[in-house]
Amino acid sequence: MLSREEWLPLARKLDWDYSYVREDEVFPEVISGRPWLPHSEWKDWEESFKTSYREYIDNQYEKDMAVQAVHDAVGRIENVQKLALPWLNSLKVHAAALPLAEFTGVIGNLRGARFGRDSAWRTMATFGALDEYRHTQIPLLLFHPLLRLDSQFDWAHKFYHTNNWFAVAARHFFDELTVGQNAIEFHIATNVVLETGFTNLQFVGLASLARESSDHMFERMVTSIQTDEARHAQIGHPVLATVMKHDPKYAQYLVDKWFWRNWRLFSILTGLSIDYLTTPDQRPYSFKEFMEEWIVDQFLRTLDEFGLEKPWYWDLLMDELDIYHHMIYASAYSYRATLWFNFVIPGPAERKWLRQKYPKYWDDMDAVWEQISERWRTVGPGAENELAVHGTAMPTFCDLCQLPLSAGTPRKNTARVLVHDGRKYIFCSEPCQWIFLHEPERYANHKDIVKRVLLGEAPAQLPNLLTDYFKLTPDTWGKDVHHGDYEWLLARKDSAA
Amino acid sequence: MPVPLYGFLQGDVVGLLILADDADTLEVLARKLQDAASLRVAARDRVRVVYNDKTMDLTMTVAQAGLQALDRFDVISG
Repeated sequence: MLSREEWLPLARKLDWDYSYVREDEVFPEVISGRPWLPHSEWKDWEESFKTSYREYIDNQYEKDMAVQAVHDAVGRIENVQKLALPWLNSLKVHAAALPLAEFTGVIGNLRGARFGRDSAWRTMATFGALDEYRHTQIPLLLFHPLLRLDSQFDWAHKFYHTNNWFAVAARHFFDELTVGQNAIEFHIATNVVLETGFTNLQFVGLASLARESSDHMFERMVTSIQTDEARHAQIGHPVLATVMKHDPKYAQYLVDKWFWRNWRLFSILTGLSIDYLTTPDQRPYSFKEFMEEWIVDQFLRTLDEFGLEKPWYWDLLMDELDIYHHMIYASAYSYRATLWFNFVIPGPAERKWLRQKYPKYWDDMDAVWEQISERWRTVGPGAENELAVHGTAMPTFCDLCQLPLSAGTPRKNTARVLVHDGRKYIFCSEPCQWIFLHEPERYANHKDIVKRVLLGEAPAQLPNLLTDYFKLTPDTWGKDVHHGDYEWLLARKDSAA
Repeated sequence: MPVPLYGFLQGDVVGLLILADDADTLEVLARKLQDAASLRVAARDRVRVVYNDKTMDLTMTVAQAGLQALDRFDVISG
């Protein structure tokens, strides 16, 4: 029998020359991706971490056992009940956004497993698909039983099957990233940009946040997932290196496009979790500090490694670190019934912390929170007053990222209207418009929530929109965690009286 | 005739869909946006309406100002 060192090099490379069909029929450009190159240009494709199927299964088994052990020890409902309420809602965000997004990663990896241009790439993508199954099943296993604690955890299964506005945005992103993507763009966008650029490091950061919040089950889950990400994220690097060699302009475009698209979603999921849904004494850093230390530095090193330039919108993105997720959070708070998790108003101590961390624009954000607080003071606390402290007019959404038009600053929103082929579109920012204009045939027919309402495809009245279209119920729609009953808020009212 | 517009109030964190009537004056349009955003931004007495980078006469109607469905307008302090 061959030793591992003898067998693996033979098993990794199983390509052959076709005699009955042409190579471009086996790997059509439309699904394998571009630039289309003969296999001779891909034959040196090499993963930096090599594994066999047996080693893979042994490792995954050990990791699954470790997750199960932590779940048995600290994952029961009584353990979760002890978590701080804001953090519990961060869990609900991730419980919904994560599992089925990971499942779309299965589809993308299986496309690589069939249409990747070298056999070693295809084998690694097969492992990647198995990883993503695991990343679907683990959060469903851990989160869905929490339904008995809180009906909002039902959204772990339900989220992507609804037309909730955030689900529409997330589907728009993942459908393009993974489900409907060719193998080359999938592996660059997912492995190099999303995983190397964001989630691999995000999971390290999330694990430390979870640890600070005494949530050891979530900490173990994301750590376990992160170890898979670190391995399969490597698939994209030799793909990008080959594209860079043959079509550097296209390589730059893919990286620029996907870094922006990833940033939009990431800043919401992680920005809100760090700066608002973790209690202040448990925040090891601000979201901006996390981005600068973990994401920005690493991404710039990756660009350097491949000889790529910084994206053209880099200064704009750096400026957004100070404001975008704050505008989204305040928007979402004032439309919280449109979501499946609960919110908290930052009190005076938190606002002082936020001002320290985000001095550039915090004055404008503080004025918004003061006005919302004033509404609670006027109507008084209580679940029955939730909708009196809630937006009534229809918020608006970007025709590219499908997220609220909350970019720029409160003083100057950067939304821009574009007429294209006789139709009017609106984008939250210049990069979203730039992406649209590069591939309008890909995006032009998608309708955001506002267009659906105006065309009569979705209800115009908020209560009907929430229940009939977003599939929320009075039990599950988002609320203020304290229903406006904050000591600091009422104390100010007493002192005013 | 109703005209759906994207309204952006200075100080606010999100754009809002405002259903205007083409006979509304821009003063009425500004008030509609301020009312819609009042949860987050306190109403101001003196405001300007900006459309296509131009400050508009508040006595003009939506139709006279040339605002069409899904255009952007801004209401800023004044």
